[in-house]
Amino acid sequence: MRWEVFRQEEEGGYHTHCGDVHAPDAEMAKLFAQIQHGRRKPTHGIWVAPADEVYSVDADETVFGGSTDKSYRWATAYNVDASHAQEVADSEAEQREAEGRRGES
Amino acid sequence: MDIDEVKAQAGPRAFDPSDDLPEEYRKAATRMIQFHANSEIMGAYLERPFIRQAPSIDRKLAFSAKVQDEIGHAQLLYRAAELLGVKTRDEMLDELAEGTGKFLNCFHYPMTEWAETPMIAFFVDGAAMRRQATLKRSSWEPYAHAMDKVCFEEGFHVKHGEDIMRELATGSKAEQRRLQEAFEEWWPRIIQFFGPTDDKSKHHDFSSQVGLKLMTNDQLRTAFLNSYIPKAEKYGLEIPDEPRITYDEETGRYEVVEEDLDWDEFFSIAKNEFEPGRGQIDTRAAAHDAVKWVRDALDGYETSTRSGAAPQAAD
Repeated sequence: MRWEVFRQEEEGGYHTHCGDVHAPDAEMAKLFAQIQHGRRKPTHGIWVAPADEVYSVDADETVFGGSTDKSYRWATAYNVDASHAQEVADSEAEQREAEGRRGES
Repeated sequence: MDIDEVKAQAGPRAFDPSDDLPEEYRKAATRMIQFHANSEIMGAYLERPFIRQAPSIDRKLAFSAKVQDEIGHAQLLYRAAELLGVKTRDEMLDELAEGTGKFLNCFHYPMTEWAETPMIAFFVDGAAMRRQATLKRSSWEPYAHAMDKVCFEEGFHVKHGEDIMRELATGSKAEQRRLQEAFEEWWPRIIQFFGPTDDKSKHHDFSSQVGLKLMTNDQLRTAFLNSYIPKAEKYGLEIPDEPRITYDEETGRYEVVEEDLDWDEFFSIAKNEFEPGRGQIDTRAAAHDAVKWVRDALDGYETSTRSGAAPQAAD
């Protein structure tokens, strides 16, 4: 059976999908995932999940947020200066980047 | 792991659900995250009426989006708390309804006027964000992860709050006066956001030793004052005489005279014994109860589909 593999690069980071492996059970799937996906790139941890048990929904079936123009929910829509607080400026920068990718997919 | 091992290994995002953590750590983390989650909910309920009371369609949309965000933050946080294995999500929600669940002092006060909204949407959210940004380095990884998304969204909240303040501060004389009145009423509560002073803080030492908390109440309060007092002044707000605030010319930093604050009121709020706060707990409990049928329907559906499902393929 097929297993989806999620790799975590650094301790405390997110597990990101990186591929899949064929294996008869979870123990073997972990072993194969280590060899195929954790051998060359720096890796702190790996998750494996049965591919059949991963459910998905994509942009053909639904309308996700972030694709329509809802400027009122972005920090960038408000013309006030956020430089007084680093954390607010950081959030605004993250939002600007996310907003820039709107409609890409 | 015992407590000494936890203290030795404590660091940013050091512990996750696969670690065998001592009860003392799990209880301390649960208390902190449950408080945070409850506060997100109570804050959202306080702002909800302003979706209706907003003076324009833009403000209405923004408040609606914001309230939705805050409820979402509560969901993330209850998940992060639940993973500690001390309390379930339902138990925490029940405690909030029964009045035993604790939450932020500022959300025990009623908010009825539009001119009050920047007090929460700018100052309290700004204070929360200052604290939350440090919690991205908390030792409980699910908590730190939740902070990534929370901080991403909060930038909008704080800037939107400031935008309302800018509008009022540059508006009619009456708007400016109402803004100043709201500020005078809320200012001491805002300063108390960061909790009691370090010497009166019951939980800080342990939480700090195990990496759950990164900065002390006093450090956070001082950092907040130094960023936000200049903002208040920029919009022409007069800082009330009390609590006294001193400015050190040499370090360029503001300090508050803590004894000027009403700590009896603060600690009665901390016990959920403050009257307006009790009303707000009950209002939220009634709203939660009114949609119990939705939760029951979902639970019923989950049970019926589960029992009919084929055995899992794994292993």
